[in-house]
Amino acid sequence: MMRRICFTPATLMLLAGAAAAQSVPTPQPDESLKETFKQAKDAWANQGDRDGASAKFEQVLAALESRARSLDPAWAQVVGETYNWLAILEDRNPAKKAEAGKRLESLVAFNPDFELDRNITSAKLQALHEGLRSAKLAKVGFTYLPDGGVLKVDEVPGAASPARYLPFGAHKLNYSKPGFAPQEVELSLVPKDAKNVDFKLDRNASTLTLYTFPKGVDVLLDGKPLGRSAGQAPADMAPLAEKAGLKAEDLSGAFVVSELKVGKHILELKAPCFRPKRMELDESFTRPYADHVLEAIKLDPSRGTLTMSSAWPGGELFLSGQGYGPLPVNAISVCAGTYDLVVKYPAGGYSQRVEILEGKALSLTAKPKPRLAFLGLDHTEDFPGKARLLAQLQALGDRLKEVAYLKAKEGESPTEAMGRLRGAKEAELLLSLSVARDRPGTVVDVVLTTLEGEEERFAVKPLDEDPLADLVARLNTQPQIWESGAGVLVADLPGESGPVVLQVGDAGKAGLQALKPITQAGGKPVTRALAFRQALAEAKGESLAVTQAGVSINLPLNRDPLELPLQAPTLCYTFVLAELRLRTIAAKGDDVAFLKLNQGITLMHFRRYDRALELLREAKVGNSTRLGLGQGTVEYYTGICLGKLGSVYIPEAIQAFQQAQKYPTSTLFGPDGPLVAPLAKQAAEDLKN
Amino acid sequence: MNGLQPSARRLSWAVARVVVPLCAFQLLTAQDLDLAEKLYRSGERAYHARSYAEAFETWNQLLQAAPRSAFSAQALIRMARYHIEVEKKPDAAMPLLERLKTEHIKSPVAAEAMLLRGEILAQRARKPADMKEAIAEFNRVVDLYTDNPAVAGAQYQLGLAFRDQSQWGRALQSFLECYRLDPLSPFAPKALLKAAEVLDLQGDLPGCLRLLERLRERLPNTPEAQEAGWRIAVRVKWRLQKTPLKTEGPWPAGKAPKWVNTPTLLAWNADGDLYIYEDGLDRAVILRKAEASPVGIPVKGAKAMVVPPSGIPWFITKGGLVKEDGLPLALAGNAPSGGMVDRWGTVWVGDRKVAALTLLGADGQNRTLPSPTTNAMAPMPNGGVAQASDANRDVKFLDAAGQPQVWIPYGKGLPGVYRSVLALGSDSLGHVAAIVEGGEFDGVVLWGPDGSVLRQASWRQLGLSGKFVAITIDRNGGLILADRSNDLLLRLN
Repeated sequence: MMRRICFTPATLMLLAGAAAAQSVPTPQPDESLKETFKQAKDAWANQGDRDGASAKFEQVLAALESRARSLDPAWAQVVGETYNWLAILEDRNPAKKAEAGKRLESLVAFNPDFELDRNITSAKLQALHEGLRSAKLAKVGFTYLPDGGVLKVDEVPGAASPARYLPFGAHKLNYSKPGFAPQEVELSLVPKDAKNVDFKLDRNASTLTLYTFPKGVDVLLDGKPLGRSAGQAPADMAPLAEKAGLKAEDLSGAFVVSELKVGKHILELKAPCFRPKRMELDESFTRPYADHVLEAIKLDPSRGTLTMSSAWPGGELFLSGQGYGPLPVNAISVCAGTYDLVVKYPAGGYSQRVEILEGKALSLTAKPKPRLAFLGLDHTEDFPGKARLLAQLQALGDRLKEVAYLKAKEGESPTEAMGRLRGAKEAELLLSLSVARDRPGTVVDVVLTTLEGEEERFAVKPLDEDPLADLVARLNTQPQIWESGAGVLVADLPGESGPVVLQVGDAGKAGLQALKPITQAGGKPVTRALAFRQALAEAKGESLAVTQAGVSINLPLNRDPLELPLQAPTLCYTFVLAELRLRTIAAKGDDVAFLKLNQGITLMHFRRYDRALELLREAKVGNSTRLGLGQGTVEYYTGICLGKLGSVYIPEAIQAFQQAQKYPTSTLFGPDGPLVAPLAKQAAEDLKN
Repeated sequence: MNGLQPSARRLSWAVARVVVPLCAFQLLTAQDLDLAEKLYRSGERAYHARSYAEAFETWNQLLQAAPRSAFSAQALIRMARYHIEVEKKPDAAMPLLERLKTEHIKSPVAAEAMLLRGEILAQRARKPADMKEAIAEFNRVVDLYTDNPAVAGAQYQLGLAFRDQSQWGRALQSFLECYRLDPLSPFAPKALLKAAEVLDLQGDLPGCLRLLERLRERLPNTPEAQEAGWRIAVRVKWRLQKTPLKTEGPWPAGKAPKWVNTPTLLAWNADGDLYIYEDGLDRAVILRKAEASPVGIPVKGAKAMVVPPSGIPWFITKGGLVKEDGLPLALAGNAPSGGMVDRWGTVWVGDRKVAALTLLGADGQNRTLPSPTTNAMAPMPNGGVAQASDANRDVKFLDAAGQPQVWIPYGKGLPGVYRSVLALGSDSLGHVAAIVEGGEFDGVVLWGPDGSVLRQASWRQLGLSGKFVAITIDRNGGLILADRSNDLLLRLN
């Protein structure tokens, strides 16, 4: 139930200004002008400095005159008084006496209702002013019931003053006040006319006046937006504010909900970073119609925290475009809501839509994705289905999960785009099109290039239902270069209750025995080797609990490196290369070596054996007694690359193969691959022959 | 006797038919291209309707009208495949494949053509040296068409070729390279299976098991994964678990007594079906799903039986080698004791009285290998044989060139020495089983590929009596014994 405070005469005054609070405020002049205005008055009144006073009044007028129509009443009063003062000063200066009349003319034009200060203005000037007004205007007197409303004269709103000077001719007058039916009067004025108009409004709705914390709250009535609270509550609203534990300056100005018709209503208040408030207004607000002022409405803050880190250096966090500085950020307070989170890195990019929940802590780790930039298509190229294919390429980013996609810029040629992207290194991968003129039918090559020059072509038929399906699938496939393992080889054997351990490895130290079946893994029964592998893959932590012969054993888990295939049709090798390059930036220890090994293998896909060799030379794997990829694998592929570089490198290749033989536990493919040493021996012998 | 099959090199190349971009390497006018495409499509329609003559006529028109077009290359490969796959006449495909190779060398289709050509050349080979030209062709595919899916096929074929030449190291490299290129290619499971077998031949049992398990785990829905399953199980059972032999009784279970008549010879075909020679009926039967049905021609007094890729058994009698035509090919001796047909189609025959092995070549060329007299023989997966000689009192495992690789004196590793080997049987994993008698030990022995005794049991231990004259090894790790006097087969496990 909504709480309200009593309607008082004081609030009636507030209501008069309510409409102004709801409207968008016009920027007002600098407050220092009022000081200038005051100094001008002092110069004359206290110092008798007529010229100094005139100069300062001129200064005020110069600042305000051009924007006189948009000034609020207080500033309009300043302008009126300035004219008044200047007319007086000029009237007393023989050299400028003629100017005084022009000042009064300007004053009448600016505000015909302005009344000269009779205490300081000579009777002559007053008469001149009255004469100027009556030559063009007629005086109309008003009474209002109730008062405090808005009087529109010829659709121009203004204060409901007791009298107005209006030009001769026909006028349409409209007096309105929230909660009352407006009244309209038509009036015709002739010279020397003096008329009175009495407005009397009929009540037709209740009104609701509210003050909000914070300011700038969206107000909705029965789901319909009414506007946003603005301004600041006057000082006499302090008691209201104190009840809510606030100060008057914390509250917005009055927001008036008018037209509250008979019945129940729902009032909603919403503001960014604050918990929305929903209030039910029962019928007592509208029976009878009355003006209500609600207690101050205080919205509770709604914020969560965001912690974000990244193993990659140089990341800078942005939430929906607003910068939050370099990573890591630790438990920063963020308004609850949904954000487009972006981390900008020197290489690669990261973006994600996140929802920060009130009172919750969100912790994220960012990993940059390769940026793929579409260069667009040369306007001179044409082929059937071009527009369709281009549209699909521009929207390609929506289908890609593993790369940050950058659309082609309008009006930029592929050559210009390439120059820009290469120069600023704004992307790791470039996507362009090449029309295959030497092939029958409409075939277009989608060309992916790394900044280092590796190139991959995918033939697409633009008129296919989904010509980019294969490319999308490849770009969404991450290269798998690690898997969870325990150094254990198991196999399904007939008549056994579970996968039988064939190779124990380091798990022997944990108590695992060869040639006995494992019957449980990760707390679940396992009857097949595949289920055991599944349990290994899903295992979290550093060990996996298994049961063998009724005994529970904790198998220590390894993160086994894998080797990428050389020509897999499921992979996009330019993407793989860019991805591995990014991963290498943040890698440590042996991970660096295995990432470089796989980069080398990927470069072998492109037959860039020289560059592959450089990476393999840098890959140094620590000593290990475990079966799996190791330094022997690196040496073996070093030998392969050297062998591909021509006969001049054969002695070095043989040396590399001999080196590979020194690592008896190194394998190809992964921990379950063949040993490198005998293969290296054969390769060395082949080269010797 | 066991019949290990020569490697069946299937020409029905299962390469993924990628949409090969039709690459025109000579600029043709639009009209030429249009006509070429229409002729190609018309031939294709006829081909699909099995109107082969019409298809060939249309494609030949295409070859005349636009001989250098990409569609002509496509037509040539389709015609070549027809000869290979439909007509089963690979020789007829050779001119087409050679034309593709010379006139369309830049076309991706040429890679497929060279691969097919290499496969035909390899199939024609009758001895290791004949593989040279095929290997050169496969190497060309690898060198010239680096990104073509045919490269994986070429690497696989290189592996087979090197294996057939007993170049195990190179074979392993090629099989692994095939797998490494694309672990999901149609060749990958075959290559992995073959690589695992090579590793075992090289003595790397753990490596072999790792690759077989990798195959089962990563390519579980392939026939090769099924194959890997029993290969793991048998190896683990015999070489690692080493459970004692015990008698399971008559085999197959549930058969009526006397369902088989005087069984004296046993052999397997490539599909794992057992062939049984019934001496009393002078014929062989094939056992499929526990049902026996006659196979091959009737032959009296067979002393050995081999099963070539055709599946029709050949018999070795005192009169010679009897093939499907029934005409005996004379042998060096008249006391044959065992035989084997190798990957080249050559039949190896051992004799109890002649101190030599007779090799009857598929091309009609016969030769002999110096050898002691042979009492029993079984094929080995390395292309050679296991040979027992009572005269020398040893069992030898010979390689494909007839050179001894393993030597096992009679009685080594057993409780006592025996005097004679009555029968040998083997499997494709290199295990060799024997029926031995005389001296201090009568019973069965099972050796591993390195000659170590994996199992042994005397008849007394097994509780068996009878006249056991043949032995073989099944895919479940059981030993099948033929008892001619009781007209039954027994299984030991």
